[in-house]
Amino acid sequence: MAKYGLLVFPERCTGCNACNIACASHNQLGVDVSYNRLEFLETGTYPNVKMEILPVQCQHCDNAPCVSVCPTQATYKREDGIVAIDADKCIGCKYCMAACPYEARQLNEKRVPEKCRWCPEMLEKGEQPACSATCMNEVRLFGDLEDPNSQLNKELAKHEVYQLLEVKGTKPSIFYVKK
Amino acid sequence: MTNLSRRTFLKASATVVAAGSVPAYFGFSEFKKAATEESVKKVPTFCHGCTSYCGIIAHVKNDRVWKVEGHPIHLKSSGRICARGHGMAAYLYSKDRVTGPMKRVGEGKFEPISWNQAFKEIGEKLESIVKQYTGNSVLWLEHGTHRKSYVDRLFDTIGSPNFTTQYSTCFNAKTNAWLQMTGTSLNGDHKNAKYMIFEGRNFAGGIIPNGMNHITQAKEKGAKLIVIDPRFSEIAKIADEWIPIRPGTDLAFRLSMANVLISENLYNKTFVQQFVDGFSEFKRMNKEYTPEWAEPITGIKADKIREIARDYAKYAPQAFIEPGWHGLHSHYVNSTQTAQMGIILNALVGNFYEKGGLMPSASLQLGHLDLPSIENMPEKGARIDGAGVTGKYRTVEPSRGIAQITPQLVQQGLAKAVFICNYNPLRTAPDPEEQKKIKDAELVVSINIDWNETSYYAADYILPEHYYLERLEHPQAVSGHISHDNPQLALRQPVIKPMYDTKNTLDMLKGIADAMGHKDLYPFTIEQEVEAAIAPLGITFEQLKKAGTLEFPATVKPGFPMKKGKPALPTLTGKIQFSADLFKIDGKLGIPVWVPPLVEPDPKNDHEFRLIHGKQPWHSHAMTTNIEHLMKLSEKYQGTFMWLNASRAKKLGIKTGDTVTVKSKIAQKKVQVKVTELLHPEAAWLPSTYGGFSPKNRTANGVGVNFNDFIPIMVDPLSGSTMAQEVVVTVAKEGN
Ligand code: SF4
Ligand code: SF4
Ligand code: SF4
Repeated sequence: MAKYGLLVFPERCTGCNACNIACASHNQLGVDVSYNRLEFLETGTYPNVKMEILPVQCQHCDNAPCVSVCPTQATYKREDGIVAIDADKCIGCKYCMAACPYEARQLNEKRVPEKCRWCPEMLEKGEQPACSATCMNEVRLFGDLEDPNSQLNKELAKHEVYQLLEVKGTKPSIFYVKK
Repeated sequence: MTNLSRRTFLKASATVVAAGSVPAYFGFSEFKKAATEESVKKVPTFCHGCTSYCGIIAHVKNDRVWKVEGHPIHLKSSGRICARGHGMAAYLYSKDRVTGPMKRVGEGKFEPISWNQAFKEIGEKLESIVKQYTGNSVLWLEHGTHRKSYVDRLFDTIGSPNFTTQYSTCFNAKTNAWLQMTGTSLNGDHKNAKYMIFEGRNFAGGIIPNGMNHITQAKEKGAKLIVIDPRFSEIAKIADEWIPIRPGTDLAFRLSMANVLISENLYNKTFVQQFVDGFSEFKRMNKEYTPEWAEPITGIKADKIREIARDYAKYAPQAFIEPGWHGLHSHYVNSTQTAQMGIILNALVGNFYEKGGLMPSASLQLGHLDLPSIENMPEKGARIDGAGVTGKYRTVEPSRGIAQITPQLVQQGLAKAVFICNYNPLRTAPDPEEQKKIKDAELVVSINIDWNETSYYAADYILPEHYYLERLEHPQAVSGHISHDNPQLALRQPVIKPMYDTKNTLDMLKGIADAMGHKDLYPFTIEQEVEAAIAPLGITFEQLKKAGTLEFPATVKPGFPMKKGKPALPTLTGKIQFSADLFKIDGKLGIPVWVPPLVEPDPKNDHEFRLIHGKQPWHSHAMTTNIEHLMKLSEKYQGTFMWLNASRAKKLGIKTGDTVTVKSKIAQKKVQVKVTELLHPEAAWLPSTYGGFSPKNRTANGVGVNFNDFIPIMVDPLSGSTMAQEVVVTVAKEGN
């Protein structure tokens, strides 16, 4: 069984938001919802100043607070590691939204707290999801953490990585390359 | 989480609760059904989100465009496209498209008419204008040159030389300088470069996805990237160094770079001896431009200029100054000289026709239909905008014209009929209030897809074109901006059937010509044109349709073009001419020397700033502002805000989110501010996107302001450009 993971190279991101809108059209999202976002951080003072950009989306946590708080099991963890939502079971209580420390979820027009699906239909075909496929700077690399030959594992071995809000103990499936 | 605090990390992500309907999209829960039940048809074509025209593959389900992806072969996209490319595809389903021909019946009032009525009325009107004022009073304005060959046939028939592109508002200084000095144009070979200087050029804002990918690849291999720009632009994010320069002084920086290269003997003597004409004259005139001279002008330390010049020479010829595009080339009175210096600096290190330096685009010879020549062709007069005309704008390329002065031509009675195609001067040319006066022409026809400002305020007739995903076009040789050895051919073809009562421009011109009695002026279809174009290539229409983009064997090799042992550029000497002879008119010099900007903010006045502008990565100027998903991004990331340097803002008591009044000689507007360290203190920066004012383009209408609101109509005497950053504004907090 595959276990999906993602490696992000934030240093390369130039904030173009192609990932954001490629995801929106692949997943046919309404205008008010987006599954990924960019966090901008400016440090220093002119002219010695830097800009950092952090692409953020659902971390598909192994220890997902959104899964444990969901009263109807609408949010559940798939065997391949993807945290999925069954919209039919969702009662719109928004517990998962409150529980997620990454603010990965957004209410859609049907009051379902949507989030990144990790595009299993692409991963299963061995393809990159829309957000990654369109990124001109190759910021995202999806792959199978269980497969020792996956490009993902090769790149993971080459870089020092960190995860977001490690202190929360959520065990995200997304790794960020330290510069 | 390492270096970002949780607070910072979370602050930008306020949850937006959805409202309203989502007509263009299936909606969340239907995704799975749509994804699995319908089979996907994939049709290759190319994008229309900006002028990179990236190859794309459209995914169609149930006769509905689902999404687009980058075409894997296409030079510009290479499998990846930017936000606007994705957004443009969704705009197909915009509620603000014009769904059939329209005739103005009052201010802001239009009534739908039939194509026949449109052709008849426009044809008759045009016929009488030509009779009364000659064909010279007819003007065609277009964003590019796509429909030029069609327009030429009508214009040859009526006797008009006035085909004008929007280029004078974009990059004329550059193309003009290259034409005069080299007779050709070259591109950076980003992939193989070791040292790249991007000055006033933001590849990550005005995006060529594959160009950025080449830079990422070069950087992985250790290439250095220097970004010189008053603003920390998107490409500065991945640069080794960002060097803020005083806006308007790039020419001084470049002159002093050359001074270092020459005085320290760092230039490539062999190359210069063999391939440059006018070097000694240049050397003589460049003597005084030392880094110490440039330091107070540019605000860049002399030592830094030396360091850059030395590094640049060290990595040469795998080094270049990016030839650039809009960035430096329509902004200042010295833009033409700045463009000239770009060529000179590249030539001084001998990087012409070198891998990792500057290389040509592979070109492709396409075939043409053998069309009957036009009988009784009337003689054409001089261009009404004076481009290329002695005594007027002699040095401006007549094939491109001067778009921004159209309202003046109308006021002077020189332009009586104006056709505006895929172009929106009321929003993208300076001084919109003045541009509105285009409507005073006796006949104004706007050919477009939505209710842009030009259609809404100026047009007598709106003729809606098929959307780019609905139409077939003459195939295009892919080239420009990034070097490539293999020629490519791309086809724009319909992905779905036209949704509304729209046409392609060829059929519009046919209809108008017919109505004027010029029957059979266009005895061909676009299909026949495509067949003729590809005939010499040994490929079939079917193959091209299927592939969308085809690549041919390499034709480009490094090495300066030579003929019989002599340099053979298409210039007088066959060499790179450091003096542009055509510029030696009216007492001007052919060799670039220092020309200060026209206007300067008063350093003692805390309220004065130079207004500068640039692209945002998810918008192409006004073209994409009405796209809902893209506008959402603007909302989410404070994209409509005007940037001010933090220290300057503090003096004026301005904080991020505050509304300020911006005032120039011609306008006064209110805008919200983003306070940042990422901008030169002397500048106020605006994204070149917003300020839509067509009430029928509902998403863009009333959002933000535009730099064009503040600049008067001006013409750079050498290349005809708008000098769009020669403007000083005052900024004051609301209520002050
Ligand atoms: S597409 Fe890539 S470069 Fe653009 S914002 Fe997304 S991650 Fe960053
Ligand atoms: S990031 Fe948030 S929504 Fe995603 S799995 Fe973790 S807790 Fe759940
Ligand atoms: S993985 Fe799929 S759903 Fe998640 S951000 Fe990327 S494209 Fe969107």
